[in-house]
Amino acid sequence: MNEHSSALRYAAIILAALVFFMPLWWVAISALRPADEIFRYISPLSLQSFWPEHWTLTNIVGLWEGSFRRAILNSLFVSAVTVIVGLAICSMAAFALAVIDFPLRNAVFMTMVVSFLIPFDAIAVPLFGIMRDLRLQNTYTGLILPGIGNGLAVFLLRQFFLGIPKELREAGFVDGMGWFGIYWRIYLPLSGPAMISAALILFVFQWQAYLWPLLIAPAPQFKVAAVAIAQFSGQYDVNFGLIFAAALFISVIPMVILTILQRFYSASVASSGGKE
Amino acid sequence: MSRTTRLLVAFCFLLPAVLCVFLLRLWPAGLALRNSLIAPGDGGYSLENYRYIFTDPDFLNSLKVTLVYSVIVNPLQIGIALALALLVNAKGPLIGFSRTLILLPVAIPQSVSAVVWGVALRPDGQINAILVALGIEPQRFLTSPNQALMSIMLIVSWIGVGYWMTFILAGLQDIPKALYEAVVIDGANRWQQFWYVTLPQLRRPLTFVLVADTVANFLVFAPVQILTAGGPEGSTNLIMNDIYTKAFVISDPESAAATTIVLVSAVLIVVTLQFHLMSRGEDR
Repeated sequence: MNEHSSALRYAAIILAALVFFMPLWWVAISALRPADEIFRYISPLSLQSFWPEHWTLTNIVGLWEGSFRRAILNSLFVSAVTVIVGLAICSMAAFALAVIDFPLRNAVFMTMVVSFLIPFDAIAVPLFGIMRDLRLQNTYTGLILPGIGNGLAVFLLRQFFLGIPKELREAGFVDGMGWFGIYWRIYLPLSGPAMISAALILFVFQWQAYLWPLLIAPAPQFKVAAVAIAQFSGQYDVNFGLIFAAALFISVIPMVILTILQRFYSASVASSGGKE
Repeated sequence: MSRTTRLLVAFCFLLPAVLCVFLLRLWPAGLALRNSLIAPGDGGYSLENYRYIFTDPDFLNSLKVTLVYSVIVNPLQIGIALALALLVNAKGPLIGFSRTLILLPVAIPQSVSAVVWGVALRPDGQINAILVALGIEPQRFLTSPNQALMSIMLIVSWIGVGYWMTFILAGLQDIPKALYEAVVIDGANRWQQFWYVTLPQLRRPLTFVLVADTVANFLVFAPVQILTAGGPEGSTNLIMNDIYTKAFVISDPESAAATTIVLVSAVLIVVTLQFHLMSRGEDR
């Protein structure tokens, strides 16, 4: 890249970033300005279209006092449990598939890979019939279950475990550890980055889920934030201040996590297929 | 340690995940297949449900919409993602931050993006304000049969393009500098460098992105269900919305099952093609 092109290139990069960021900025300022000003300054474009005259926390406070609070707490709870249980299940499976030498190991691995190639949303409707018959409609179990078995997380952790030297586990056996000790006290502590990547994958899946919670948890006390905001915006008399406050709240959590952990996120993205 | 012990230990470690695979993938897929083969009011297996959906104008329209959508949106997203990846593949202050800003929309639930863009695309929304400021007539966007599908494409592209960019960027950073040096010595210009080095070297990430993006776009649901419910005049009735409508709006579970199987088959065909393309490349 020569000196001449770099100024132009910088300008183009900044412009592209602004184009992608503009809708998010608009969500933020709409959430933080009085509700009756949200539409007042949209057209014609002016300084107030991009920068509120008055800043207020009324919408955010109103969000916390209204029915959205329950939805946000539900989302947080469901996502947290998904990450913890999902990490346990996926890392145990990955450990068996990477470390324990047992008959039919490749067959089990291939079956899992092929099964997880079916996207979850594609079979959400028939799964809903099964879960309803199991009486899991309007339960946290019903909301959480689909998130805890994740093929990408298993695959990622298996790849990482395969890279841990065999000598470490042999030393563990000499010290009298069993298989669980090897998993818990050698493999997991050495797998921080891969576990963070897997946790991100599990979290994003659950935090973003829309179709599944829409089907399995229609009752108000089990509604998650992603569903609540959509239904709220479809009502006749909409308070857009609350809508944008909710949008801001639901978006900020994954955005902060992604910004802090982007290194791990990019690593997981890269190892999931882009590179080999 | 004996084979039996190892098998037993492995079984315990794998059991929860295997149960998940069975409950969350194989059982529902199998159930959909079975239900798709049993016509309403008929105990035996037949292809009647498939015959029915393939003569149903709503389903045929949804196939057409999904096809038109896929043919436009996938090349569009990959083209923009490639351009962005080439653009941000540089070093310097603020560039990492810019990448993060472009990637951020993917972190937001699609339902939230749909709601926000739904407001921005209103007749009195931001996008029309920008058009008017540029001297262009305001548009109807989501309420126009000619513009609604395009509006959905705009929304999902804003969401997904930064994500696909990340894969291509990882591929770009893996290309050995020596390859460029070699063709520059031979007198290659910028365009020739791109055509003879960059593109061939990106074959793997681009193949992966093409397949993953195609599958992701088959599954687009939240923006359609929230913003247009498949309308106006069926112009945005993508296949996931068609399945949802069949199953929960018009209560036709048999047709929903058959449509689910059509969708799963399409996904598996696309993914199989990917493995085929990728392994063929390795032989060269």
